[in-house]
Amino acid sequence: MQHSILIFFAILTLVIVGVFVYVYLSSVNANEESKGMKNALHKRGWFLLILVVVLAMFASITIPKSPYFAFANDTPAKVIHVAAGQFYFMMSYNAIDPKNPSSDPSIEVPVNQVVEFRVTSLDVNHNFGIYNDKNVLIAQTQAMPGYVNRLRYKFTTPGDYNIFCLEYCGSGHQVMRSSFTVK
Amino acid sequence: MFKYAFCTLTLFLSCNLNLTLGQSQQDLREEENIYNQIFNAQLKLTDGKTTTIHGLAEREPLIIAFVFTRCSGLCSPYLLQLKESLRALSRDNSKPYNVLVLSFDPEDSLSDMSYMARQFDLLNDKKWLFAVTNNITSLNKSVGFHPVWNPAIKQFDHDALLVGVNSQGYICKKLFGIRSEKDISLLISSINNEYTPTYQLPSNTNLFSCFKYDPLTGKNKPGFGLLFIALPAILTIVILIGIRIWARPDKKLNSGVTS
Amino acid sequence: MENIRLRKITAIWIVAVLVLFVAAITLGIIMRLNQAAIMKLSPAGFYENMTVHGLTMIGIWFVAGMAAVNFIMERYVKTSYSANLFAFIFTVIGVILLWVSAFVGKFHAGWTFLYPLPLRPLWDSWSIVLFLVSLSILGVGWLVWTVSLMAALLRKYSISQVFAWQHIGNKNPEIETPPFVLISMISLLGVLTSLIAAVVVLVLLFWEFFSNGTFSNDPLLMKNLTYYFGHTIANEMLYLGLAVIYELFAEISGRPKWKTTWYVAIAWNLTLFFVLAAFLHHMYMDFAQPQSLQLIGQFASYLASLPSAAVTVFSIIVAVYRTKIKWSMANLLFIIGTCGWIIGGVGALIDATISNNFVLHNTLWVPAHFHTYNAMGNVLFSLGFFYWFSVQYSKSEVTNKLQSLKIALLILGGIGFLAAFYIAGADSIPRRYSNYPAELAAGKSYALLGAVSAIIYLIAILMFFVNISRRCLSMLFAR
Ligand code: HEM
Ligand SMILES: [Cu+2]
Repeated sequence: MQHSILIFFAILTLVIVGVFVYVYLSSVNANEESKGMKNALHKRGWFLLILVVVLAMFASITIPKSPYFAFANDTPAKVIHVAAGQFYFMMSYNAIDPKNPSSDPSIEVPVNQVVEFRVTSLDVNHNFGIYNDKNVLIAQTQAMPGYVNRLRYKFTTPGDYNIFCLEYCGSGHQVMRSSFTVK
Repeated sequence: MFKYAFCTLTLFLSCNLNLTLGQSQQDLREEENIYNQIFNAQLKLTDGKTTTIHGLAEREPLIIAFVFTRCSGLCSPYLLQLKESLRALSRDNSKPYNVLVLSFDPEDSLSDMSYMARQFDLLNDKKWLFAVTNNITSLNKSVGFHPVWNPAIKQFDHDALLVGVNSQGYICKKLFGIRSEKDISLLISSINNEYTPTYQLPSNTNLFSCFKYDPLTGKNKPGFGLLFIALPAILTIVILIGIRIWARPDKKLNSGVTS
Repeated sequence: MENIRLRKITAIWIVAVLVLFVAAITLGIIMRLNQAAIMKLSPAGFYENMTVHGLTMIGIWFVAGMAAVNFIMERYVKTSYSANLFAFIFTVIGVILLWVSAFVGKFHAGWTFLYPLPLRPLWDSWSIVLFLVSLSILGVGWLVWTVSLMAALLRKYSISQVFAWQHIGNKNPEIETPPFVLISMISLLGVLTSLIAAVVVLVLLFWEFFSNGTFSNDPLLMKNLTYYFGHTIANEMLYLGLAVIYELFAEISGRPKWKTTWYVAIAWNLTLFFVLAAFLHHMYMDFAQPQSLQLIGQFASYLASLPSAAVTVFSIIVAVYRTKIKWSMANLLFIIGTCGWIIGGVGALIDATISNNFVLHNTLWVPAHFHTYNAMGNVLFSLGFFYWFSVQYSKSEVTNKLQSLKIALLILGGIGFLAAFYIAGADSIPRRYSNYPAELAAGKSYALLGAVSAIIYLIAILMFFVNISRRCLSMLFAR
């Protein structure tokens, strides 16, 4: 996913730079008689129209893929409760009591089945970022005190997955992590 | 202008100070057994038919209420409250459900249950089913319900528990205690597989939040906090107009507008 | 003469901004070197550095835009010298207190100081107070300046004139609103809104801090307000730069002045609204935010790009395409900056798409795109103005030596520095990590590339710095 995004971005960047270089050179090579762009208003209209159509297509393709709608009609096979704090993640099969938090020593998640993470925070904002065993970020949700965010996901490959914190939470932010296994 | 902004703000805040949210404290037991399949107990209904919990749930999602007929405490007010809440919510027909009132007392007979149904005037209500079962121990275990017999007073010590089961037979939500209409409605939504990617924890200190989840519509309703988000934009407009009114006297310069 | 005073204070602003810019870039390079494991700061030291870097950069490029707009605005209306001076004094005090709170008081909650982090006992409580006070001082100085510039415009133009409404549906209105006036007004309004949002955040933070636990805020509300302020100010400061370009591009190029047309008027009026709703894209990963607002966030972000692309960028292209132009350093910087601005905008649009945000949010993709439209966009707009200003009003002659070298270093360094961010972002490296864990060790190599390229960028900036500030200083001491 991220790599296609990067390539898409690189292509657009090249096109934009190309247009600017071309336009710049056309000015450098211009002489006194050059008339500039003909029918500029007309072209502007077309440009805008194309842009609107492209963006509308983009929106209609991407919006249904938003995580809020993912697996909305499934019943998850498992719920994992997550409570984040400075600077740790607690994960448990049972609800975590904020006054007396405790976690399960290791977490296993079934492969090819929908699971639901119920993520909250015990102090500041954190972020529950799931990395697969190739260290690619595949899903995330914020951990906000006072709220529980429900992240549903279906893991398709077994293996060890890491959790990293993706919301700056203080001087231990970069060591805040956890892991679980998909079987 | 700055002062104005500050005054308005203080005003807003002091109004809100008198507000408390009065939410119920979260019961962690409600998070247990969620998305487990409920034990498929055999049921005997008051109309004489026999069926299973999964069989019933397949027809319509189920709200299960656990009672015993000899109860001198919680069961009656709790059933009454449930009946009232559901009546109040009956406007919304898009989310179907049945209520299964199930005895957890092995001593209860079908006629005890019929009697109870008649008492609550629910015998002929199609949405309400009264039943007994022989598998109550396994069922209790699968939903995390632990009544304890107290021989001294000849009563069960027990919680008021509602369990929501979707049509696939999975436990989607549990409610402990006598609960508000809103919570009941959230229960109905969840057994109809309506997914909201978040919920708010109860808290006593938050005076205002942006949004209040409204289970009646399944949407978040704007809360007091939203005013704060509108505030900067509103103040900007006020200041803009204010400046214009205050700055107008300078007529002399107006002549040079077309420069 | 009146104008001399304005010239001098503008020259002071320019020198101050450049000095702080060099300092803040140095902090940036130190961060990259630390992430590359070449330098060894303590994590807290890194984050103090990061907090100061972020706020200083936002601050200086905001005031740079304001100073430029103030200077040009004097062509149309009478602006207040005292407000300008007041803002300068408050900015200096605010920045000094900010640096003290971070480097002495160890305050390091990041430039967005997202609630409730600042109130946690990770640093002395005096430093949180000092930090909030420093921001309040900056806020007051900037609010006064903003309101005074708005007042200057509104003293001459009515509300409908200042928004150029008379141009909509009328080809040749009696009274023309220059594009500069329209765009500065729109930007100033956005700035005002974001500053008020900052005031609300500060008041709520102060309140909770002094309430001894009897009052606490709602984290979701605070987050919305924080980005209402942070996102908006970061966007509007770019528009201040654009106002200057609308005024100066044609002038420097020796072409007829740009006029307000109906589509320019419509585009900028719309921009005002879209930009104010776009901040919602910072909450995509907060599932607690209602979905309708999430979708509004995506649409507003998309829509905000339309007027800028179809009007501003297109206008610059039309102005240049096959047109004989007097190219100088200033308009070269303008056009390169425009190019950087759009590329950063594309990076932003990609990330403002909810389904992409799911795997890009808070990775280095985020600093990647905003550094693009800052370091290779807004900075170049302001640098172009600085250059033009210093040449225009100083007596020392212009030498064109090294011109292409400067531009080449700037572009080369900029591309390397930004590519390191983008590639790392697409490689899932998180932002705001002082050190990378073993699994994400690739981040170190990207950081090294970033550091080396940033040094090249810094060399170009130092050359500009020497050149421009020498002329500005000579202007200051001239009679
Ligand atoms: C070549 C010059 C620059 C260098 C080397 C540099 C470097 C950096 C680095 C390494 C970070 C931290 C990235 C991370 O999250 O891991 C950062 C963050 C940041 N930079 Fe820059 N930067 C430069 C120019 C700018 C400019 C021109 C701006 C203008 C607005 C800017 C604004 C920011 C902001 C707002 C942050 C975020 C701070 C935070 O997360 O709290 N930077 N920069
Ligand atoms: Cu963290």
